[in-house]
Amino acid sequence: MSEAAKPEGEAEALFETVRLRYGDRLTPAQLEELRKIVAAQVEAARALRVVALTNADEPMQSFAPYRGDER
Amino acid sequence: MIFTSVGELAALVRAREISPVELAEHFLERLERLGPKYNCVVTVMRKHALTQARRAEGEIAAGRYRGPLHGIPYGAKDLLATAGAPTTWGAAPYKAQHFDFDATVIRRLEEAGAVLVAKLAMIELAGGMGYRQPTASFTGPCVNPWDANAWTGGSSSGSGAAVCSGLVPFAIGSETWGSILSPAGYCGLAGLRPTYGRVSRHGAMALCWSLDKLGPLAQTADDCGLVLDAIAGADPNDPTASERTYRYETMDDKRFRFGLIPSVTEGCEEAVAENFTRSLGVLKKIGTIEEVTLPDLPYEQITRTILQVEAVSAFEDLIGSGGIAGLTAPEDRYTPYAREAILAQDYLKAVRLRAVMAREIDRVLRHFDALVAPGRINEAPVLGQEFRSALRATAKDVMGAIGNGAGLPAVCVPNGFGVRGLPTSVQFMGRAWEENTVLAAARAYQSLTDWHTRHPKVD
Repeated sequence: MSEAAKPEGEAEALFETVRLRYGDRLTPAQLEELRKIVAAQVEAARALRVVALTNADEPMQSFAPYRGDER
Repeated sequence: MIFTSVGELAALVRAREISPVELAEHFLERLERLGPKYNCVVTVMRKHALTQARRAEGEIAAGRYRGPLHGIPYGAKDLLATAGAPTTWGAAPYKAQHFDFDATVIRRLEEAGAVLVAKLAMIELAGGMGYRQPTASFTGPCVNPWDANAWTGGSSSGSGAAVCSGLVPFAIGSETWGSILSPAGYCGLAGLRPTYGRVSRHGAMALCWSLDKLGPLAQTADDCGLVLDAIAGADPNDPTASERTYRYETMDDKRFRFGLIPSVTEGCEEAVAENFTRSLGVLKKIGTIEEVTLPDLPYEQITRTILQVEAVSAFEDLIGSGGIAGLTAPEDRYTPYAREAILAQDYLKAVRLRAVMAREIDRVLRHFDALVAPGRINEAPVLGQEFRSALRATAKDVMGAIGNGAGLPAVCVPNGFGVRGLPTSVQFMGRAWEENTVLAAARAYQSLTDWHTRHPKVD
């Protein structure tokens, strides 16, 4: 497993994007809290990723082309 | 007149034993006098309400009776647009916000002759920013009428407190994940989460487009059916509102098949589990109960991921601008930033898994009228303390994750009291579009119990 593929490595990389974008608005305590939240999000994402889906498993949302005179 | 069901009030109004103006004056006085005690009212709609009540009175006197909500006062969660009054979304940055139109639900209730008497308090932005404690509203925490040290639950907090304290006969709330069932359960009320798409969301604050539902909180399951009958239906302003027709039917004398997830009381307080076991004994009088096994899927992660991403997108302007710093709960001022680190592929995986979840749960539910479970895992949380929440993964709520993620209807009704003297509840969750079935089950349960007839001392 590569460094980034480990949960803690992935969480740290993703947290870094948050810190880079919003770090100037946040206190050290808030940043530390966000680090934990991002780690929990990564844990949740990994629970999703381990479930196998097929090519036919589409998102449960529909898209329809739009025509304003056909509403 | 307080704690009288909508159905009973309707009979009195129709027989002209009570006038709509009298009713409106009665509840307006209570809202103005007791609303501050429970911190549950944002705007009392006195002038608007009396105008609607006089119109209802004139129509009924002229023989033009519209139906069971005609002349009945109600309150609306303050995320529903109403022309002529602020719509604050419970959040300081929006406390001066005005719309020049009524939400479809408000308009439908007006067409049914109901009288809007108050806009009710709520958790800021319907709790979508990650709040951890009851104070997360610019109006402060709602106080549970059963115990001044307890919260009402949220995010439809004011809707729960106002019905529970007899300030309105019914109220409209919204649920993305738990926001109707939580205040209904903690306040000892009936709360109905309709099927996603049953009720138009037009004019309601969007938290999560694919999860938000609007529904009633009332004294009884029967009242919830009467209200749903008025607010359900297609709406050209909301393409997700279903074309399916809904009419409330009571299904008297029906025998039920209930499904039970064996582990459903894991993590519940002892009194909650005991009361639920007692409820199962009651339900055996009106049907059968069979254990069910759910497929192994990450239900909570699916719904939580969708909720977190849609909510942060719905409020990207407030979050991106740093406007969340103006929110009341300290955690709401920074928690949303973390959600921008959820990858698009993970969000889409959740949306794809949602389809699997919906198919699998329907495969289970097609053999049953409803799954039964405790409405909440605990008695109402204490004011001033952090509470556990499935949205933050600090509590389990598989029923809520499935029900909201798959858009299924559920109703909860009171089933006893816990050790602190606060209500506990039982919920019935059914297949999509089966509101009448779950309401019939709850109604049958309420016909055999008297928990819904017990009320807090409020005057």
